[in-house]
Amino acid sequence: MARTVGFFTDTTLCIGCKACEVACKEWNQLPGHDPKFLDSFDNTGQLDDQNWRHVQFIERSTGNGGVAWSMMSDVCKHCSLASCMEVCPTNAIIRTEFDTVYIQPDVCNGCRDCIAACPYAVIGFNEKTGLAQKCTFCYGRLQNNLTPACAKVCPTQSIKFGELSEMRTVATARLQQLKAQGVSDAQLYGEKEYGGLHALFLLTDKPEAYKLPSVENAVLPSRNNARGYLASVVTAVLGVLGAVVAFRQRGEG
Amino acid sequence: MPQHFVAPPLWAWYIVWYFFLGGLAGGAYLLGTLLRLNGDPRDEGVARLAFLVAFPAVVICPILLTLDLGHPLRFWHMLINSRTGGLNFKYWSPMSVGAWALLIFSFFVTVSFIEALFGAGWTRHSAARSIAGGLSGAFGHLFMVVGSLFGLFVAGYTGVLLSVSNQPVWSDTWALGGLFLASGLSVAAATLAILARSRADAVSTERKLSRADRFFVVLEILLLAAFFVTLGTLAGRLFAPRWIVLWVLVALGIVAPLVLNRVSGPGRLGSPGLAAFLVLLGGLALRIVLIFGAQM
Amino acid sequence: MTNHWRDIRHADVIIINGANPAEAHPVGFQWFMQAKLDPKRGIGSGGGAKMIHVDPRFTRTSAVCDIHARLRTGTDAAFFGGLINYVLEKNLIHHEYVRNYTNASFLVKEGYGFHEGLFSGYDPAKRAYDVSTWAYEGDAAGQAAFERTQQEIAAHGQGPARSGQAGAGKPAAPKVGAGVAIAKRDMQLEHPRSVFQLMRKHYARYTPEMVTAITGIPTQQFLEIAKIVGECGRPDKVMTIVYAVGLTHHTTGGQMIRSAALLQLLLGNMGRPGGGMNAERGHANIQGNTDHAISWEILPGYLRIPAPGQKNLNDYVSQSAPKKFDANSWNFFGTNYRNFMVSLLKGWYGDAAKPENEFAFDFIPKPSSNSSWISIYDQALKGKMQGVVLSGMTATSIGPDANQVMQALANLKWLAVMDPLPTTSSEFWRRPGADPKSIQTEVFMIPTTHWIEKDGSFVNSGRWLQWKEQVIPPHGEARHDHWVLAEVFQRVKKLYQQQGGKFPDPLMALTFNYKDPVKPELDELAKEINGYDLTTGQRLDTFGKLKDDGTTTAGDWIYTGSYPEAGNLAKRRAGVQDPAKNDPTGLGFYHNWAWSWPLNRRVMYNRASADLDGKPWDPTRPGIQWDAAQKKWVGDVPDYPPTMEPRSPKAWGPFIMNGEGVGRLFSASMLDGPFPEHYEPMESPIENPLHPNQSESPVAFLYDKAAGRPNRFGTVKEYPYIATSYRLTEHEHYVTQHVPHLVGLQPYPFVEVPVDVAKEKGIKSGDRVRVSSKRGKLEVAAIVTPRLGPVEVGGKKVYHIGIPIHWGFVGIAADRDPTRGANWLANALTPFVGDANSRTPEFKAFLVNIEKI
Ligand SMILES: Nc1nc2c(c(=O)[nH]1)N[C@H]1C(S)=C(S)[C@@H](COP(=O)(O)OP(=O)(O)OC[C@H]3O[C@@H](n4cnc5c(=O)[nH]c(N)nc54)[C@H](O)[C@@H]3O)O[C@H]1N2
Ligand SMILES: Nc1nc2c(c(=O)[nH]1)N[C@H]1C(S)=C(S)[C@@H](COP(=O)(O)OP(=O)(O)OC[C@H]3O[C@@H](n4cnc5c(=O)[nH]c(N)nc54)[C@H](O)[C@@H]3O)O[C@H]1N2
Ligand code: SF4
Ligand code: SF4
Ligand code: SF4
Ligand code: SF4
Ligand code: SF4
Ligand SMILES: [Mo]
Repeated sequence: MARTVGFFTDTTLCIGCKACEVACKEWNQLPGHDPKFLDSFDNTGQLDDQNWRHVQFIERSTGNGGVAWSMMSDVCKHCSLASCMEVCPTNAIIRTEFDTVYIQPDVCNGCRDCIAACPYAVIGFNEKTGLAQKCTFCYGRLQNNLTPACAKVCPTQSIKFGELSEMRTVATARLQQLKAQGVSDAQLYGEKEYGGLHALFLLTDKPEAYKLPSVENAVLPSRNNARGYLASVVTAVLGVLGAVVAFRQRGEG
Repeated sequence: MPQHFVAPPLWAWYIVWYFFLGGLAGGAYLLGTLLRLNGDPRDEGVARLAFLVAFPAVVICPILLTLDLGHPLRFWHMLINSRTGGLNFKYWSPMSVGAWALLIFSFFVTVSFIEALFGAGWTRHSAARSIAGGLSGAFGHLFMVVGSLFGLFVAGYTGVLLSVSNQPVWSDTWALGGLFLASGLSVAAATLAILARSRADAVSTERKLSRADRFFVVLEILLLAAFFVTLGTLAGRLFAPRWIVLWVLVALGIVAPLVLNRVSGPGRLGSPGLAAFLVLLGGLALRIVLIFGAQM
Repeated sequence: MTNHWRDIRHADVIIINGANPAEAHPVGFQWFMQAKLDPKRGIGSGGGAKMIHVDPRFTRTSAVCDIHARLRTGTDAAFFGGLINYVLEKNLIHHEYVRNYTNASFLVKEGYGFHEGLFSGYDPAKRAYDVSTWAYEGDAAGQAAFERTQQEIAAHGQGPARSGQAGAGKPAAPKVGAGVAIAKRDMQLEHPRSVFQLMRKHYARYTPEMVTAITGIPTQQFLEIAKIVGECGRPDKVMTIVYAVGLTHHTTGGQMIRSAALLQLLLGNMGRPGGGMNAERGHANIQGNTDHAISWEILPGYLRIPAPGQKNLNDYVSQSAPKKFDANSWNFFGTNYRNFMVSLLKGWYGDAAKPENEFAFDFIPKPSSNSSWISIYDQALKGKMQGVVLSGMTATSIGPDANQVMQALANLKWLAVMDPLPTTSSEFWRRPGADPKSIQTEVFMIPTTHWIEKDGSFVNSGRWLQWKEQVIPPHGEARHDHWVLAEVFQRVKKLYQQQGGKFPDPLMALTFNYKDPVKPELDELAKEINGYDLTTGQRLDTFGKLKDDGTTTAGDWIYTGSYPEAGNLAKRRAGVQDPAKNDPTGLGFYHNWAWSWPLNRRVMYNRASADLDGKPWDPTRPGIQWDAAQKKWVGDVPDYPPTMEPRSPKAWGPFIMNGEGVGRLFSASMLDGPFPEHYEPMESPIENPLHPNQSESPVAFLYDKAAGRPNRFGTVKEYPYIATSYRLTEHEHYVTQHVPHLVGLQPYPFVEVPVDVAKEKGIKSGDRVRVSSKRGKLEVAAIVTPRLGPVEVGGKKVYHIGIPIHWGFVGIAADRDPTRGANWLANALTPFVGDANSRTPEFKAFLVNIEKI
């Protein structure tokens, strides 16, 4: 039963409880890294092989002594045009029947090219398993018609899960509501980026503030193929010519 | 200034050495071929050396790559899809293309290596003889030319591999492929020059090589320029204190062939050898800065 | 909670005060968010509920609220006092409600007064009030008239009390003992001694400027809040006030909460969906604990513990049961007090409880001294305690004044810790820096099952009794608590039988009719708690049927009806799977989901949600309403006789439990005053601007002073910063120090430090700091944050240091730490003093100093 699923993470509803992080670890049996204190409420730090959801805490002064504290539960975007998938030489990274991006652990050989490619720093390398690991979109749960663990436990429905199309409508509706309430910098992220993300985010600041590249910076690795090879070819031609010339000159020159 | 929020792939020493040796092998094979096609019998000795050198370099490459994998025993997944059994070939993924190129290039290198052994009279094995026989004449030339093309690719694609990513620096320039190629050629020329000095009959060849090297170095300078221009302010991170020494080495490796070879008197002692040596160091330093510098 | 979690989504305005639900009740918090997202909610034309967080800290709750008001810790009575004054002066109160549904019209006796921070009747020597001066003015005529009608009712053998399920199945005529003292009323609310006028006078002092001077909330922000709150006096708007231990953990905690309740009564928000006073409770079953008398001064179902000198039930009832102050007050509790008590005694002592022996009333202890939490350790410090059994509690970590508590534990002969896991109490004798040889206390670790390893029920904040199944089998040798206690009981009983002893009767008589006398099942206990009709042997379906003649039993009368013959109603799960069927009113009552006390009512006092004619104040959010056609109340389970005509002259007042029949703006039931008044915390940075000569609570009990121990309170000179202690989402107190994933989320202890203080002291995030109070010190990392801004009081800036409570010398983090978590106990800092009424420790306001290590 092929479906096109998606997340809509509404940061205006997130209370930073990290239930999503824990549920993900529990369901996917990720032991997590050794505990480290990172001088803040966020001791997870980043998305990686152990952390497939990561709640960012963004503290801003709003002038006149006030503060704003936005929380955002970050996750693999399951990009329609996925940088990781593009470069993966072993085809370990596939698009599933749910239109999600999945790393087949039995195929991956740990070359880490995908890590170099993912613009969202989602994938991490697991030293123990020697594999690249990231959110599977709870592949197993989807196959059994269950909601992904993180969305299931989110108490405030900051993480919404459903058909991507439905998520888009919900997201736009919510955006309109906020605009109407005068939240001027409210914006949707993930409609245009990488052919449309399967994880949409409602933000109240520019994407960069949430470590998300702006739409013009959301570019694919393959953009550099042609240019890169062209430069090499030109160099090759010049190099060969140069050598030929150098070798032609006879005698003691 | 482009935004980057990516994580580093943590490619380290294995990759540095692979990039270095890949460039050396590719360059050596090309120079060997050109020396032969050049038709000056005095060059044959060094040409043979070129093929002899290319072989060990190329043998180590896949070993380094495999050791760098999280799952070394799955190195073959690069070529064959372990699920479908079909071939994995993605022309838009340099790592995929590179894996194939390296495989094919190794074939050419191996054959030419055997041929060179035979030519040098180090083996009389019948198989070697027949290979040597087969490669004599036009076909042999064609064979070497094709081999050289793959050699050039192996020497150059590694730069493209870095660029085809979303890493800061790497993905912000188009110059890396050319840069690695030029430096690879320069390194190869320098290596051969050094080896040539062991042979009494190779005086002129060594000169040719130094001349070629000067040219490669000029290319390298141009590409470095292009590299920095394309990066703009982003290049800043490559000049963190810890990288300065390496940049000095890179500079020396570039300047040396231009300066030292000139002042070299007929005595042919010292300086050219030193120059060549500095080139090798420079080539290595360049790869270290670009690989570690961008990731840290 | 007077209401329940799901009901919060009906509120137009949500004041979160002394609570941090996003972190401490994240799942319940979904209902706040739904109110916020519902365009129908909110003031003016709606657009979503307005959420106001009043908290010294900017927390994860503040982050999603419309307004965060930073108030100085311990000053909420002033904040609410200011709002009370505002709605009174601006005349924004719900007049019809206040006149008819509160005791605003009651006249207070001559002699009541309030001067210089003291109410009338204060005795400085005893540090206590004689509350007799806080009484209503009696109404002789009314009294006579009332007695006449009683005889009529008795004669015609009918009366409201008869009618239906909520009604007591007995005449409403008061039983001997339950007093009647009809009070004078002035329905115009003009009499100078009417509660209304006294209240006006009392709160006139709480001007916006005074609120600012005390709380530090800028006047214009306070007025912004007041304006929003003021709108909620309109019948078509409703506000909820949500609080938790940010209010209770103060020497004035009880009054802070009462001040909020007063505001809700004035605005007519009590008893209405979307309104109420909603306490978010603690541990998964702390509400159940409270209902079953976890605190020393009550018996199950909030019956008072007998007092010395009470010879018989009559003494007990007349001194404990609420009096009837108005002819139209059902005074249901007072009227049935005796039925409940006798049924309890009968349930406990069975055949040994007979009319001849006052149903074994004498078997129940009549404690002469306070036995609240702090008192236990005070007694131990005095060497008056042999041993302590801790079941599911960590004396040491709980505090207050952990260092003194650990001295107390060291004074015991023995300490038994019933717990699935090691705690700071079971390990106190070998804590870092302690010399085990010098500690004589014999410590027994009794491994019990964790609640997840047993079935049984949880009662949530909304009073829902929800049965749960055993999730995992008991680990190792762990035994259920009730099995441990049952076996201890049997063995003690045997010892008495063999060796005799003083007054064994209660032990011998105690009913223990379980299939296995050392392994009772929780299902058996649940039935026993519900209670039986001994004449039929059937379980009862309402406490209305409890009698005082020994023919009924009830282990806890408010639970009677939870487990009728029909079965265990706590197991019902008719929920959102079919809203149309399970929630016909659409107001989210879900009456067939589990069971809530009393009698499955989802909103308490819901009679007050409708006007005198029984019409809902707000038709879009009806609680109950009078259906003239069917001649009964419909909607929620009425907190009222189901068929009582609203307009009948005999109609009871809406607050059927109170002696007044109405909500109490003025009450003699608090030890520290009939009206809430702001007093400073025992340790405070300033003198009380209202009455500097009576700065802090005049009646808070000072343990160390009374015991002649050296003073342990600090002054603002030595300890210039205010501190408050609190929870983080990531941990459940101390126990989750054993849970790897949660330790991963918050691995090490820290304190939150305001930017200005950090600058002054050269502290950066991650630096180790020492926070010290007069009582002890904390050595942990610092997080420097703008979320802890200054508050400006008395013209000077004061700063809060924020102290999460979760760490100690036991658990994963401590085991990883070279110092074994020495100086990680938040409660090393807190003062050994509690609320004047409940003696709940003042965990939330004390003075500290901070320095970089
Ligand atoms: N994650 C988590 N949840 C829990 C618990 C837990 O340990 N961890 N414990 C449970 C238990 S037992 C309980 S009792 C509840 C407690 O639930 P809460 O009372 O919500 O928890 P606290 O964090 O202790 O205090 C709440 C807030 O009161 C604020 N505060 C302090 N002093 C004052 C004051 O004077 N006035 C006002 N207005 N605010 C003040 C604090 O800054 C804090 O933000 O939580 C329960 N839920
Ligand atoms: N400074 C400061 N101090 C505070 C507070 C504060 O806000 N500030 N909050 C206070 C409040 S409100 C509370 S409730 C206390 C909380 O203090 P505690 O109740 O001591 O905290 P917990 O860690 O929840 O302890 C519960 C214990 O019960 C055990 N347990 C779990 N299930 C069972 C069971 O079925 N049977 C038995 N026998 N044990 C079981 C757990 O293993 C755990 O050790 O802290 C109080 N202390
Ligand atoms: S977010 Fe990164 S890992 Fe996820 S699909 Fe896109 S590129 Fe791949
Ligand atoms: S690490 Fe695994 S998934 Fe990533 S690119 Fe290499 S093979 Fe593909
Ligand atoms: S979808 Fe599943 S795997 Fe992905 S973050 Fe959520 S819980 Fe983890
Ligand atoms: S569970 Fe939901 S609310 Fe909690 S942190 Fe994750 S996204 Fe935010
Ligand atoms: S821990 Fe339990 S009670 Fe507390 S919020 Fe989570 S679900 Fe509710
Ligand atoms: Mo609690």
